[in-house]
Amino acid sequence: MKASVLEVRDVQKIYGNRGESQSHALKGVSLTIQEGEFVGIMGPSGSGKTTLLNVISTLDRPTDGFIQIAGTDITQMKQNQLADFRSQKLGFIFQDFNLLENLTVYENIALPLSLQGVSSSEIAPKVHKVAQTLGIQEILQKYPVQISGGQKQRAAAARALVHDPAILLADEPTGSLDSKNAKSLLETMTDLNENHGVSIMMVTHDAFSASYCRRILFIQDGKLYTEIHRTQDRQQFFKQILDVLAELGASHDVR
Amino acid sequence: MLLKLSLSSMRKMMKDYLVLLIGLVISITIFYMFQTLALNGDFTKQNSVISSIQLVFNVGSVLLAFITFFYIFYANSFLLSLRRKELGMYMILGAKKRKISQILFLETLVLGIISLVIGTIAGAGLASGVGSLLMKQLDISLEGYQPFYLPSIMMTCGFFLVLFLLTSSVNAIKLARATELDLIRAEQQNDRVQRKGFATVLLALIGLAGLAAGYYALVHMEELREIGLFIAASATTIGTYLIFITLLPVFVNALKKNRVWNERKLNAFTFAQLRFRVNNLTKVLGTVAMLIALGVGAMAGGMAFQKNVSLMAEMGKVYDVIIHKPVPADYEALKAMTVEEQNTYRYKVDDAGIYYLKDDLLADPPLINTIGLEDYDPDNRVKRVSTSLPSKVYSVYDHPEENLGPDIESMPPDWQEAVTGEFINSYEMINGKAVRIVDQTTYSGIQGEERSVVLARVDDFLKYKQELKEIDERQTRLYADETGAEGPQLYSKYTTYASLYAFTSGTMFMGFFLGIAFLAMMASCLMFKILSGATRDKDRYSMLRKIGVRQEWLVGSIYKELFVVFVFPALIGLVHVLVGMNMFSFILEEPYVGIWVPISIFLVIYTFYYWITVQLYKGIVLPKEA
Ligand SMILES: Nc1ncnc2c1ncn2[C@@H]1O[C@H](COP(=O)(O)OP(=O)(O)OP(=O)(O)O)[C@@H](O)[C@H]1O
Ligand SMILES: [Mg+2]
Repeated sequence: MKASVLEVRDVQKIYGNRGESQSHALKGVSLTIQEGEFVGIMGPSGSGKTTLLNVISTLDRPTDGFIQIAGTDITQMKQNQLADFRSQKLGFIFQDFNLLENLTVYENIALPLSLQGVSSSEIAPKVHKVAQTLGIQEILQKYPVQISGGQKQRAAAARALVHDPAILLADEPTGSLDSKNAKSLLETMTDLNENHGVSIMMVTHDAFSASYCRRILFIQDGKLYTEIHRTQDRQQFFKQILDVLAELGASHDVR
Repeated sequence: MLLKLSLSSMRKMMKDYLVLLIGLVISITIFYMFQTLALNGDFTKQNSVISSIQLVFNVGSVLLAFITFFYIFYANSFLLSLRRKELGMYMILGAKKRKISQILFLETLVLGIISLVIGTIAGAGLASGVGSLLMKQLDISLEGYQPFYLPSIMMTCGFFLVLFLLTSSVNAIKLARATELDLIRAEQQNDRVQRKGFATVLLALIGLAGLAAGYYALVHMEELREIGLFIAASATTIGTYLIFITLLPVFVNALKKNRVWNERKLNAFTFAQLRFRVNNLTKVLGTVAMLIALGVGAMAGGMAFQKNVSLMAEMGKVYDVIIHKPVPADYEALKAMTVEEQNTYRYKVDDAGIYYLKDDLLADPPLINTIGLEDYDPDNRVKRVSTSLPSKVYSVYDHPEENLGPDIESMPPDWQEAVTGEFINSYEMINGKAVRIVDQTTYSGIQGEERSVVLARVDDFLKYKQELKEIDERQTRLYADETGAEGPQLYSKYTTYASLYAFTSGTMFMGFFLGIAFLAMMASCLMFKILSGATRDKDRYSMLRKIGVRQEWLVGSIYKELFVVFVFPALIGLVHVLVGMNMFSFILEEPYVGIWVPISIFLVIYTFYYWITVQLYKGIVLPKEA
């Protein structure tokens, strides 16, 4: 049996202080992700997807509840511990602005290692290895403005993975890519998941992107609505997703 | 409607406007203070010493006005650049350009009026505080001095209003020329300006050569004179700019090339930010370095002159005390001092001349300053007259020269220096008469009042300023009574000292305030320039935080990055000052006296602005922690 990399129990998130107008973004969410899973999070706009990802990624604190990542309870951590935890245990891909445009791709990828104090002689082989996995060795010395959007997201994935994080968190990683580049990135993610054992949690709006996941959690109004598993091929799964979305009354959200 | 929008956006940029406001208030405050010192009519009429300072403060006002002009101009266009996007948006949404121009114009004017009000009030406060401090130091009564002086207020307001009108019109014109798209796109900046290879090396070499030439000229100012001044000013300036344009980017790139360094913690990011900055700020940094040099130089120069006043006074006269026709009070005063040498010489005065008794002179040969003589020796400025006087009569200032009879010889230069340079403390005394040294027989034959002059040297004349002042006052009265002249000028060591002291103190005070105003405005220019890029950096910092960079590292990175940006111009500017003070070494004995004071003042102001810049920058770029 595999260990769980992520355990979320009864997490609540309320924005705004007492007395002000409050917004109850998460109303008791529980979920578990096992090592090596590829999980998607879907739901209508405003349902709390980003909020959930933010509290899991320690960028935001939950108002209540318990979150454990790779055996560590993150809800009790101090500010600096959280930062260190992020830099060691988590990998991120965002919709855009993933790379620092004043650093080369190489320097961008090396950054998480530098932050952990890895010596520069150890950094080089690691960067080259992950670049090879993602097929971006050719562009390592280029600056972000000199490469395509798809290459940028690959470079972001490389940066997210270079330090062997426990889990890769992605918020709409394909959001600003055209369909060809999106597909290629999703295939790469699938490859990472299936052949390199990377655990992935991906928030997405897009049913097509979601169909690459093995399991999808649907949220509505800050609560878990349902979850579906991929049992047959992707085409089937895609239809299944659309059905749930229609059920959610959020089909207009689907691109 | 548009006015409301503009107000709300101004409120959002409160901090930036506040910084601009502070710079303006400092400038206006100091300008106003200078003006009260320069224009206060009743006051200046009562003080002869003050009138010499008046000029100094007028010059200071003009200089200050110049800097302020550029400052306002610069700060305004910075603020405009911050708001370009917003203004472009209004225009795309259909606001009329004319309307927007009007609003901008109004904004500048309002800001100007606010700073004028604060500045004038603060200026009056400063004027009464600092002014009285200055006067106290100069031993001048403050009678007739009004810190709140209407002509000064009008002068200040008038001047700055014109300045504000000018800058806001230019802003409005600039805006009128720009298209909507220009405005919206204004933020896109190029991140990597790279100039490589031969040209850079050549420019760097020219820069170094320029600096070397400039420094050489500064050190050898005494031989090079005017040419030296010209070379120093131009070559140093060119050299400074070229070094900032070429060497600084090379230096930062070298930092980045060092892999081990670059891949430590956040260094890759810090260096990258830095590289962008130094490439973008080369000219600003060069200007800052030059202005630091000028600002600190003004303070240090004023200070050095002031500290060297007693040395300069020493050059004039050897004897600290000269008393003609001494009265008992004079002897009392002399008793109060530690006298190292005291000689009395008898002389007679008639309508045609002054006749010194040779025997007295030869009995106690006086000391003289050799500065004007052929055997001048800089290490041994003072010597005792030793030329013998075999003839009966020696003369100088005889009119016409033919008067010299067979027994009358022209006076040897060192004796001449003694009886005209050392013995005489007022022009009223000579007043066209001949000065002679005569033997006893001739002396006895002269019809005229017999008097004596007492010359004395004390251990340290600065210890007896009060006594010397009183002696000089009695001497002045003596000449006034005898000749009927109004306020005869006295040339004693003390009087020379006092007027030089007043003049240099004025210069020093002005140098200080000018320097402070200069530095404050310069540093805030640098600050504005840095902050104008800050919005663009916001995303970078937020991303770094997301991937797990500790807040303190981000802060540390900001401190480091801005430190390098601030420290380079400071270093070069200070080296300029240190080398530049050499320039005065042929006028001043110790040009470096107390140089730590202006340098410390500079460091305090500069550090303060560094800190403020870091805080404001942090406020703009750092994500709020949950
Ligand atoms: N910083 C915040 N302060 C107050 N309320 C917030 C904040 N962030 C999010 N919310 C609220 O919490 C709820 C969930 O927002 P969240 O961003 O998680 O939605 P989402 O599912 O990511 O939506 P989308 O698909 O549009 O990105 C929304 O009602 C939103 O208004
Ligand atoms: Mg979202």
